[in-house]
Amino acid sequence: MIVAEQKPLDEISRMIASYERVLILGCGTCMTVCDAGGEREVSFLHNALRVAQSKIGNGIHIFWEYTLKRQCDPEFLELIVERVAEVDAVLSLGCGIGVQAVAERFPELPSLPGVNTSFMGMTRETGVWDERCAACGDCRLEDTAGICPITRCIKGILNGPCAGTKNGKCEANKDMDCAWLLVYERLEKLAQLERMRRYYPPRNFRTIPRPRRIISKTSVDPGEEYG
Amino acid sequence: MDSLLTDIRQNYPANRTQRFLADHSLVPTCQTACPLHMEIREYVDLVAQGKIVESLQVIRSGNPFPSICAYVCTHPCEDACRRDQVDKPVAIRALKRFALEFGGDRLIQAEAETSHIEKVAIVGSGPAGLACAYYLRKFGYPVTIFEAHSELGGMLRVGIPQYRLPREVIDTEVQRLTRMGVEIRTNTPVVSLDLLFDIGYKAIFITIGAHQSLRMRIDGEESPGVIDGATFLREINLGLRPSPGERCAVIGGGNVAFDAARTALRLGAREVRILYRRSRVEMPAGPEEVEQALEEGVEIVFLVAPIKIKREKGRLSVTCIRMELGDPDAGGRCQPVPIEGSEFNEEFDTLITAIGQAPQTPGGFGVRLGRGSTIQVEPGTLATNRPGVFAGGDAVTGPATVVEALAAGRLAASRIDDYLQHRYPLVVKETRESLTGDLLPETVEMVRRIGRVEPPILASEERSKDFEPVELVYDWETATNEARRCLRCGTGAEILSQDRCATCLTCLRICPYHVPYLDAGSTVQIPIDQCQACGTCVAECPAKVIVLRKPHDRRRVTEELEHILKTAAGSKLKPLIVGFCCQYGLFGTGTLASLWRGARAGVWIVPVLCVATVEAEHLLRALEIGAEGVFVAGCGDGCARENTASWIRQRVEKVRKILVQIGLQPERLQTFVSGTLSEDPAQGMDNFIEQVGGLYLASVMMQEVKS
Ligand SMILES: Cc1cc2nc3c(=O)[nH]c(=O)nc-3n(C[C@H](O)[C@H](O)[C@H](O)COP(=O)(O)OP(=O)(O)OC[C@H]3O[C@@H](n4cnc5c(N)ncnc54)[C@H](O)[C@@H]3O)c2cc1C
Ligand code: SF4
Ligand code: SF4
Repeated sequence: MIVAEQKPLDEISRMIASYERVLILGCGTCMTVCDAGGEREVSFLHNALRVAQSKIGNGIHIFWEYTLKRQCDPEFLELIVERVAEVDAVLSLGCGIGVQAVAERFPELPSLPGVNTSFMGMTRETGVWDERCAACGDCRLEDTAGICPITRCIKGILNGPCAGTKNGKCEANKDMDCAWLLVYERLEKLAQLERMRRYYPPRNFRTIPRPRRIISKTSVDPGEEYG
Repeated sequence: MDSLLTDIRQNYPANRTQRFLADHSLVPTCQTACPLHMEIREYVDLVAQGKIVESLQVIRSGNPFPSICAYVCTHPCEDACRRDQVDKPVAIRALKRFALEFGGDRLIQAEAETSHIEKVAIVGSGPAGLACAYYLRKFGYPVTIFEAHSELGGMLRVGIPQYRLPREVIDTEVQRLTRMGVEIRTNTPVVSLDLLFDIGYKAIFITIGAHQSLRMRIDGEESPGVIDGATFLREINLGLRPSPGERCAVIGGGNVAFDAARTALRLGAREVRILYRRSRVEMPAGPEEVEQALEEGVEIVFLVAPIKIKREKGRLSVTCIRMELGDPDAGGRCQPVPIEGSEFNEEFDTLITAIGQAPQTPGGFGVRLGRGSTIQVEPGTLATNRPGVFAGGDAVTGPATVVEALAAGRLAASRIDDYLQHRYPLVVKETRESLTGDLLPETVEMVRRIGRVEPPILASEERSKDFEPVELVYDWETATNEARRCLRCGTGAEILSQDRCATCLTCLRICPYHVPYLDAGSTVQIPIDQCQACGTCVAECPAKVIVLRKPHDRRRVTEELEHILKTAAGSKLKPLIVGFCCQYGLFGTGTLASLWRGARAGVWIVPVLCVATVEAEHLLRALEIGAEGVFVAGCGDGCARENTASWIRQRVEKVRKILVQIGLQPERLQTFVSGTLSEDPAQGMDNFIEQVGGLYLASVMMQEVKS
């Protein structure tokens, strides 16, 4: 799941300052799950902006709120076409993808980000999320016992642990487990310690060709069809 | 400014709004068990909130004579109460009595207007007859009650002793009926129905009860000094004072036997002994009654039956035999079997038989009789074999209970109405589902134990001297606390639309009772039979898709805030302070009562089901409608649930952070949790009001400087 955090209210206020009619657009998938932009947070932000307005006189806006099931598919955005026609800006509480999807669908309208999209992760407990994957496009979890060193090792080294591991913690952050020690322990349990001995050549993430595109449908050459 | 305050929220399709407005609660087990299907959960909850008058309204709408039930109902609701699975059932009957006494039931007047010309005759004035008369008058029919005795009430009057049901209670209800225009003919035994039809009645309801005592069929039963329980009680209730002598035996184990025994004590008998042929487990009398009889000094001998009575020298020599329990019969009851050679003799002055009664239907009625001389009727319509003749109550069921008789009377009134209007019986179906299923052990473990408190009763020495009512009424505090024990079964949370559920699993993780679960299809389910309706998940659901099943619970906060906006926001005399308070603490009698400051101090209260249901956005909304300060007051350890305050603290913290970003002082938001503050919450409250007042003044001055 994509994890994000709502932006501070002052930043949002500043962003919307010059638009009178604003649609706060929530997202019913990842942003709901990570408490950043589901219907409840949309409503909360809406209320907060209105309090700011009525108590401090922070501009005069008219807000609408709506939460789509997902913002990252164009079909969902068709559901708000009418509403969008009446507003001056969309404040999207979708992840960065949602904001861009809105911008792409409604080219004439400002699409503003209401959250800081942060990482891909999992729930640790209610209200706490941990990063787990860097989307590097070349998954090595088989060799690292299902623990990603790129995200979970602060230094992101591929051949750990480094000399900074101490009592199972990382020298850069004493509260954090050393990812490589975790890898070691799990490999030991799996009786696959030999994987520790392999050398992984460093990777140059800058060379990943962005933006990436994945095509899952198989292309068929029309010429090859019978008939 | 106005457009700012109108709340434009999500615009959803109309059907979602409709679903949002409907009552999705389930019918709780207590209500299902009640023959009148009274809205017990609702009126008990109103008592818990201290809204006694409203509670009385709910009671009155579901029961024609609640004051009578409040004293003598056998309360099948309590037997079905699910609180019993945690500790003890809610004391529903006693709470009803409290609501009646404190809600001003005596002052309530019933009215009725005549809108039909068809006259209806009611034969017998027991609870069934009275209830039928009440509802027929409400429907607008002219009604006449024919009663053989000199006074109305049937067994209420001639059976149940005064120390359990004071006569003023019956009198008040009868007076109401007379004011409603019911014609009453006492001392008028009806022997033929033809006559009634001849003089113009269009329909007849027979409710002659079951007054003929069953005979033991043993030698000497006719001797002087032997009397049947129903007759014995009737004589006393009609003003005679028979003397039971020094030593008195009562045969039987039902409520009549116990009433007779306790009455005999009150008439001066030194020793009263109940002889019952089975054991305690099989005894049909209610536990309270047995308990109270024992306290008063009644002795109970089990597994003994009389086999012969002989009158000698003015006393009764009774030969008894001991019994043992044989195999259970088809009905599951163990049949007593005499033990050979165990006979023994006892001497008594009086012997009262109370082994059951049967109806005695005059042959001239021409209605078909069934087992045990009961009148045969069609169960759904109460119609007898004669057109226009209906029957109900003990006369149809055999000796039963007041509440069943009332239900029969109510049903008869509707069916007679249908009959007279030539309608096919209109059956009003309950559209809501009934709650079934027990609480799981895991749920039971999490529900806080709160012991049941019985209403006070007269000390036993006081009691056996006269016919004063034995049971007293709760005081306000005890009643509200007892009422809070209700689990509000069937009103819990539901996922309004599975489609919008993000399956984030928040509810599953935070429910204090571990109720929601993930089913095999990866869908979150909130089983209604386990949910304790605390509303925590409602406020925490990030998709806002969980709602409480009762529309009132759902809309309450919004509506109250709108109300405050309309009434209070205009007045600029005092800075407005909005407090979200536990509905049970503040208006009931909990410690929170001390926080109440009244609207004059500028403090407006929004009562909430539980502070755990107060959402972060509610706090903001209160500020937006003009509140200068907002507080949340909940119960700490006194709460019926665990740890509710921690949730509200988190939300308050979240809103405070936002306030800082907005540029408002976070002190404008306070939580008061009773029982956990080192300082007195009332003092804290006063400080808060003062502080908010100061902040308000400062902001006014700032504005003046600006302009
Ligand atoms: C001692 C005793 C204690 C009880 N305690 C309780 C209790 O605590 N709780 C509870 O729920 N139930 C109790 N009951 C049972 C309850 O009283 C009855 O189930 C209930 O009263 C039945 O109501 P009914 O209207 O069918 O008949 P009844 O109340 O029996 O009324 C029938 C009426 O019809 C009249 N009548 C009969 N024949 C004729 C005729 N031919 N013409 C005119 N009038 C006629 C009778 O005089 C009587 O007034 C008790 C019963 C007794 C006897
Ligand atoms: S706990 Fe309340 S709602 Fe549930 S059965 Fe008992 S009285 Fe009825
Ligand atoms: S309302 Fe309370 S008890 Fe019911 S599911 Fe939600 S959190 Fe659990």
